[in-house]
Amino acid sequence: MTAARPLRHPAPKQGMRVLPGRKQLRRPALAPWMMMVLIGVAAFLGLGFARTSLDRSAFELDRLDRAIAEQEAINEQLRLEIARMENPARIAPLAEELGLMIPGDTKQLLVDLGGPAVASVDEGDTQ
Amino acid sequence: MREIRNEDPTARWSRAPGGNRSFPTTGVTAGALVVAAGKAATRPDRSRVRIALIGLSLVIALLGLAFRLFQVQVVQAADLAGQGLDQRLVTRDLAPQRGKIYDRNGELLAMTVEAQSIWANPTQVEEPLWVAQQVGGLLGVNSQELLTRLESDREFVYLKRQVEPGVAEQIAALEVRGVYAHPESTRIYPAGAVASHVTGFVDIDGNGQEGLEYMYDEALRGVPGKAVFERDLEGRIIPQGISDIVAAVPGTDLNTTIDLPLQYQAQQACVSAVDRTDAESCWVVVLDVESGGVLALAGAPVFDPQTRQTVDEDCDPALVPTCHSFRNFIVRGVYEPGSTQKLITVAAAIEEGEVKAGTVIPGVADLLELRPDACRSADDDLFGCYRDFEEHETANMSVREIFTRSSNVGTILVAEKLGQDRLISYIERFGLGAKTGVDYSVEAPGTLNFEAGCETCWASAAIGYSVAATPLQMAAAYGAIGNDGIWTAPHIVASTTDVNGGQDVAALETKRVVSPETAVLMQDLLADVVDEGTGQAATVTGYQVGGKTGTANKLGEDGRYTEVTRASFVGMAPMSNPKVVVAVLIDAPSYRYRTGGASAAPVFAQVMEQALHRLGVPPDVGAG
Repeated sequence: MTAARPLRHPAPKQGMRVLPGRKQLRRPALAPWMMMVLIGVAAFLGLGFARTSLDRSAFELDRLDRAIAEQEAINEQLRLEIARMENPARIAPLAEELGLMIPGDTKQLLVDLGGPAVASVDEGDTQ
Repeated sequence: MREIRNEDPTARWSRAPGGNRSFPTTGVTAGALVVAAGKAATRPDRSRVRIALIGLSLVIALLGLAFRLFQVQVVQAADLAGQGLDQRLVTRDLAPQRGKIYDRNGELLAMTVEAQSIWANPTQVEEPLWVAQQVGGLLGVNSQELLTRLESDREFVYLKRQVEPGVAEQIAALEVRGVYAHPESTRIYPAGAVASHVTGFVDIDGNGQEGLEYMYDEALRGVPGKAVFERDLEGRIIPQGISDIVAAVPGTDLNTTIDLPLQYQAQQACVSAVDRTDAESCWVVVLDVESGGVLALAGAPVFDPQTRQTVDEDCDPALVPTCHSFRNFIVRGVYEPGSTQKLITVAAAIEEGEVKAGTVIPGVADLLELRPDACRSADDDLFGCYRDFEEHETANMSVREIFTRSSNVGTILVAEKLGQDRLISYIERFGLGAKTGVDYSVEAPGTLNFEAGCETCWASAAIGYSVAATPLQMAAAYGAIGNDGIWTAPHIVASTTDVNGGQDVAALETKRVVSPETAVLMQDLLADVVDEGTGQAATVTGYQVGGKTGTANKLGEDGRYTEVTRASFVGMAPMSNPKVVVAVLIDAPSYRYRTGGASAAPVFAQVMEQALHRLGVPPDVGAG
């Protein structure tokens, strides 16, 4: 008689089971993650700050543009005022009121550079 | 081992072995397998049902939300994004600043400034009568007219456009509901009526209608821009939003050859002349001889380019049709130049060698019939009868005398030597019958009436009839004599300046019409006219002046000449080296002033003196 061959996989005993041993997990290194999170947060905050700054600058630029436009408009109004003031049609009557007049009698002195000054006087009403 | 225990149906929370409160369960203890048993465990628990229902509701709600989210974010995403963008996105046309117009000294003649246009939404106005009275008073608009507009059923009516900002502020201070203002550019002419015949004007929408404003409208108006941007609730530009701004390109500035003080003097001289001579109108043009630049271009009656109405309150359009006319007669009006034309006739004869200044023309009478019995008919001038202005004995007269005394008969005898073809050739060479090319709107070319078979047209043309010219053409023709025989095209704009400061200078168009010798000789003859001829009223103290009077009868409506005249004087100074040409035309003066020597020559003297002073021309040695 031959001895009975042992079963390769012995039948499990009823009511018992084999529990695999618990692997000991390595604790993940926290530092890199923390760094990444910190960098992420910093980048987020930085971007937010940069964007806010940009917006603030843009609003300021817009305000300055408006101010420039307003000043230019005022400047144009002043130019217009100057031009109106310089209008001969305004000045001439005022000058007449002040007793001024367009030169009437003219006097020309003709100087002979070659010799002693010779005066030639022409007078007349030029109006 | 199995642990079987009854579950407490009322249990809501169980305590974990550690004593901590765990998540709500139905009584199952952590770490233990609990099997519900008994009657209670075999039927659905009400709490579980509720929880299941709540869970189901949540799931349904979440699914609904997810569905809606899918709809919003995926299915309708583009439409909704577009709607949102439409609310924020604004497209505005950027109106370009219209170019300015300057005189030769940099004085402003025309500019554009920001104004306010007052408008109303009548449906919002609660007390139209009160508003019409209050706002009408500030705007200077008839309140009844405003009331009519405010009682209309429209939602937008203009109350007045382009008012000054100060007026708009006063109206805003009234805080009237339904009355608003919006900014709008307006064209201002700081020199007022002084330069109105030069600048012309624009309409209420800024389109050039007359004068330089019309001629250079395209260059002056610039290129409109466009701004597309996102705005927030307060109307501010969203900085990181869509922004596409194409800036408007301002219009080109015009630098004219006009001298504003001289322009004023010329206009005043004309206004005075109209008053003195009781004429319909007066026109003056001042040309720089060498460059052809127009130094002054004035006329009376005068109109205000701002209001586009005459400034002469006494001018009655029923009596004087030109009262409300904006037509610049210097450029557009044609007239028969009369004796001023003799310059061309005599210059041509001298240039062609037919006569010299001292050539004696024998038997110059004061009457000439080119057709038998022509002078017996009433309308003799049309049919070959020519008379001198003053009666005189028949005499042998030199060309100089003929020119100085302005003899029609003598001039026709000179022209006879020249012949019609050569006369026409010189008339055209001096620029008559064709546009001068001046940069002013709608220039008239004039006409030369030499119909085939016309036996007397050449004689009429020799003394300034059968030819219709503009005052500017005559001034340019005299300018050619003053410029030693070189005709220069007159122009008003010397250069243009674009937004970058780049200047474009107008090119001069010149041509020789007679030799320098002929020109100098004609200058001498012109000086004689003023010294001892018909133009003695044109004398300017300190300068030797030359010129020619002209008196031409006006054609009546029936095509026959009337007693009403057009009196003119065209001349230059100083005769040692002519710098300025002045042409004066007085239309329909009273009988006493019907000749050029009586009405136009004094105006010439007044304007010429100011022109010489303005240009700093030194006086002639020995001139009276």
